[in-house]
Amino acid sequence: MPTQKTFHRIVLSALLGVGPLSASILSAPFVVAGSTQAQAASSKLGDLTSFRNLVADSKALLDKGDLVGAKARLKDLETSWDEAEAGLKPRAAADWHTLDKAIDRALTAARATSPDLAACKSALDEILATMDRLAGRS
Amino acid sequence: MDFAKTRAAITLNKVPQVTLAFWAIKIMSTTVGETGADYLAVHVGLGTAVTDAITLTLLIAALALQIRMSRYVPWIYWLTVVLVSVVGTQITDALTDGMGVSLYVSTPIFAAALAATFAAWYAKERTLSIHTIVTGRRELFYWTAILFTFALGTAAGDLATEAVGLGFNLGVIVFGAMIAVVTMAYYLGADAVLCFWLAYILTRPLGASLGDLLSQAREYGGLGFGSIYTSLGFLTIIVALVAFLTLHDRSTAADERA
Repeated sequence: MPTQKTFHRIVLSALLGVGPLSASILSAPFVVAGSTQAQAASSKLGDLTSFRNLVADSKALLDKGDLVGAKARLKDLETSWDEAEAGLKPRAAADWHTLDKAIDRALTAARATSPDLAACKSALDEILATMDRLAGRS
Repeated sequence: MDFAKTRAAITLNKVPQVTLAFWAIKIMSTTVGETGADYLAVHVGLGTAVTDAITLTLLIAALALQIRMSRYVPWIYWLTVVLVSVVGTQITDALTDGMGVSLYVSTPIFAAALAATFAAWYAKERTLSIHTIVTGRRELFYWTAILFTFALGTAAGDLATEAVGLGFNLGVIVFGAMIAVVTMAYYLGADAVLCFWLAYILTRPLGASLGDLLSQAREYGGLGFGSIYTSLGFLTIIVALVAFLTLHDRSTAADERA
């Protein structure tokens, strides 16, 4: 019985040692891929095109007076932005928070009980301006 | 005499023995808990405040059930751990995102809160052993310590991966290596209680980084499984392990009676 316990402990410590090692070998290529991509992109956060397109779509719908459609696009933005948090934030935490706050303001404006269309539009413009500023385009 | 005492402690201990399955469930529960809370807050659209209230209510209910039990019941224990994991994360997030408290401030605060919990625990009980969680008071110390390890693990982990910019790829390597060092120290004879709690803190950011590595899109350096599939996969393994522990527990109890 004690020999069995010692054996179990050896297996356990071996597994615990092998785990991180294999994870590091598995993830090594991704680390390289991640850093080169970040360097190649114009904004420190990387390519924000897909998020920017959702904001632009939402803005276009709002300009046509389609608040429901605009809110649906904003929801898409919220979910995809949230999903990408762990990938984007480490690249530039301060930039991420600036943009996150801008997105939050637009969501709050669009979801008010009686939304102020002008406030919604300016909040969306503010996201676009923030994205462009971070990408060094203005 | 001593033997009888130890025997009684083992049968009445309200928390599980620390095995490989224990650490596997503990690491995966972080990702499942976080995805679940995120799903309610963002996808279902309940928002942070309502989600926090729901998970806190669930935690209180699970904790009440866990404390009422006269012995360790795997599914109740692990349900409580998952919910403590979620609430511990939400406390850190509420401070960071809601109140704008810097991670550089919240990390030492949670470390101090955890140290204070251990100090009070030791002052009252003269031991921090997790093998003799046999009274209600010890159990409350145990769960308070666990709550703070999750809050501290979240704050310290986010500080390393996000604020310092380590990222989840390096995060898996760094936290995994730190746990390997603690494991080696334990087998070389370092204090078992200290090693257990250090590993308990470190497995929080390891679990989060591992979950991110599997779920994040390939363009961000992840494997691209998405948070839903990653969590469903983890949840399946957790349920299987808890079922295994429940059956194992029953056969051990039967052996002891025999």
